[in-house]
Amino acid sequence: MAVKKDYMDQKLAEKLRDRKYYAPDSNPEFLKEVEKIGQTPAHMCYQCGTCTGSCPSAPRSSYRIRLFMRKAVLGLEEEALTDPDLWLCTTCYSCTDRCPRDLAPTDTIMAMRNLAFRRDIVPRNFLQTVQLIYKSGHGVPNNDANRAARKRLGLDEEPETTHKYPEYLPGIQKILDHYRLKENADRILAEGE
Amino acid sequence: MSGNNHQYAFFLGCIAPNRYPGIEAAAIATSKNVGIDLLPLKGASCCPAPGAFGSIDLNVWYAMAARNIVLAEQMGMDIALVCNGCYKSIWEVNHKLKHNAELREGVNEVLKEIDMEYKGTIDVWHLAELYYDPEIVGVKKLADSVKRPLTGAKVGVHYGCHLMKPRKERHFGNTESPMWMEELVAALGAEPVQYRNKMQCCGAGGGVRGYDITHALDITNEKLINMEEAGVDAVTEVCPFCQLQFDRGQLEIKEKFGVEHGIPVLHFNELLGLAQGMSPDELALDLHAIDVEPFLKKIL
Repeated sequence: MAVKKDYMDQKLAEKLRDRKYYAPDSNPEFLKEVEKIGQTPAHMCYQCGTCTGSCPSAPRSSYRIRLFMRKAVLGLEEEALTDPDLWLCTTCYSCTDRCPRDLAPTDTIMAMRNLAFRRDIVPRNFLQTVQLIYKSGHGVPNNDANRAARKRLGLDEEPETTHKYPEYLPGIQKILDHYRLKENADRILAEGE
Repeated sequence: MSGNNHQYAFFLGCIAPNRYPGIEAAAIATSKNVGIDLLPLKGASCCPAPGAFGSIDLNVWYAMAARNIVLAEQMGMDIALVCNGCYKSIWEVNHKLKHNAELREGVNEVLKEIDMEYKGTIDVWHLAELYYDPEIVGVKKLADSVKRPLTGAKVGVHYGCHLMKPRKERHFGNTESPMWMEELVAALGAEPVQYRNKMQCCGAGGGVRGYDITHALDITNEKLINMEEAGVDAVTEVCPFCQLQFDRGQLEIKEKFGVEHGIPVLHFNELLGLAQGMSPDELALDLHAIDVEPFLKKIL
């Protein structure tokens, strides 16, 4: 962040230089990216803390949604994207409903997660869901016990989805391949092994 | 099939058909009794899970949800569904695509590769809101469909998150202390019970159940403690993922925290099924992790 204003008095300016906000880690593009993906103007946040106070994850972890909002504004990309707390948001939208600035902190978190994923920073369970959907169309696929129960209920063993009509699977796979999602999921999971 | 019935394409999602098929069976049967026909939406997939997919790439989430919506557009029918997670994906993506031309163009570019086009010709509804809507069903008609009132049963309502929130994008109004689902529960003859922090999340969403299950269960446990304090005989919800978290979650909570609650968890359609006279077998209630028997004894 370039310093635009300075004191006329050179000695005073010199004295204060190190005390002005300057973070070599800061990337102002980060805020722009987060706002673009999250579609909410995170820079309007005035740090009141209503979000953290509404958050079900806050009382049981070090996850602080207000902190992430600040990191977005300060462009602290590395800090935000590498923080394991990023993945503790349950996306309940309580903070969003209560934000006095009409922001969507939840969507700010989602945007940061999207950006983290672009750097291969992502918990394994997210990638496993991708693999399941690629294979079956379902994040939670059918199984034999369930098939038996469905039969008992007078339902077809396979629901009227991609399970019963696998001819729809190639279309789904094409969409996922368009974004190279399966390929990336496979690669990141393999690297983690 | 009656000619006067409202018809919808039934979007199943994953957990209802593949873990709690009683919800699917109940939704079809109970809706028919109040004048709604749910027709198969052939070839639908996972919505896809908003927490899992939205977190890693929102564009994929939009495109995958759009594909499901287009299937219903091709039928010329609105979608009805039974899951808050699916509602977030299907309703919200439909809403965004209708109002954001840039997004729509991007999605259609991808859909073109599979000879599909999103047109924005249908609407998406949660069955619970259709039951509450007097122009479709309404509380009175719902009450009239009851053959076996759930008299004497105290039922706590878990609204879940993704049906009503974020409030400003949705159309349900108050998300701090809503009462419309209590009206639905009362229509079945049961007594809706208020408990502390009713609107709190079940803990499972956003990929947290898969990422840190102890953290997710700790949230669930807090809700169960609050319900227990209010003396509920059962909790009802309109989200199979919340149901999974509360139902199977209670076994996991017992194992991890040594706490036992024994609170039966019933999707509203299962509850409605019981009230309309369906048997526990017809609802496959034996698939529930937490024994529903104590609740059944109260009402049968």
